[in-house]
Amino acid sequence: MPTIVVASPKGGAGKSTTAVLLGTELARGGVDVTMLDCDPNRSLSLWAERADLPDRISVQSDVGESGIVRTIKAFDADGQVVIVDLEGVASRLVSRAISQADLVLTPMRATTLDATIGARALELIAEEEEALDREIPHAVVFTMTKAIQSKQHKGIEASLRGQGIDVIDPPLMERAAFSGIFAFGGDLHSMPPQGNMDSARANARAFAMEVYKRLTGEV
Amino acid sequence: MTQDDPFGIALNTGKLKSRPKDASPKAEAQSDAVAEKHGFVDRAPRKKRGRKPSPRTGQVHAKVMPEVSKEIAREARMRGVQQGVLIEEAWALYKADKELD
Repeated sequence: MPTIVVASPKGGAGKSTTAVLLGTELARGGVDVTMLDCDPNRSLSLWAERADLPDRISVQSDVGESGIVRTIKAFDADGQVVIVDLEGVASRLVSRAISQADLVLTPMRATTLDATIGARALELIAEEEEALDREIPHAVVFTMTKAIQSKQHKGIEASLRGQGIDVIDPPLMERAAFSGIFAFGGDLHSMPPQGNMDSARANARAFAMEVYKRLTGEV
Repeated sequence: MTQDDPFGIALNTGKLKSRPKDASPKAEAQSDAVAEKHGFVDRAPRKKRGRKPSPRTGQVHAKVMPEVSKEIAREARMRGVQQGVLIEEAWALYKADKELD
């Protein structure tokens, strides 16, 4: 079971949105997905309660620091994916989840503040790799991006790439459908139209495909 | 597969393999030590200690004869319940007797 941990100590970076879009798109592609809601704000659980869960998705709520490693292990099965959504704080729960990750995604908006705080997660991953003596694949995904990239966005992305950080292309753009999914539940195919649905679906699918490639070693 | 429809073919779940990861207490301790160094600390909510507050917040103002008071107190102590429980039971019997809702 590849475990994907969505982690950033910065609140409002788009962690839960990233988790839901990734989970629903992978499930649509035929993958069994277990989503662990480790955020006391229960964003994933609230989404799950809005409508019937899409096929092949299950959600485990209220997973805390003491149970995170055990819970991830409980869903350990090849051919499936576990997605861990964390609270946007610097907590020990984050490091324990990262210790069990096959891939860590760090969402960040293309702002200096998000990048600065998000970089703390990247530093933590680097040191955990050393302490645990194993590589922990990780990547940054920009969220809520605009069609025309700002100078700030270009600068931050160039800086990350220059340091050898994997940046997922495409980013998750700012779209009414991506925020609306928490109002309606379900996935981008079951919810009522919000903005340009075709573009939103294509964006989410292409992003999920890039994550899939990283899980299977194609990138 | 096209850019417009990257899931035009189903994903190959057989390729999704988990890598071995150390979940031993030692590895957890190492992870915690690294976390603390970077300011990622224990933020798990603390459980409140002690007895939970009683839901019995309704108040009655009843004065009874001293011997009745002693008997009620003795019975409650013997059963390990609050005196209010006995009043609730007595009230339930009264309602049943009077056939009140």
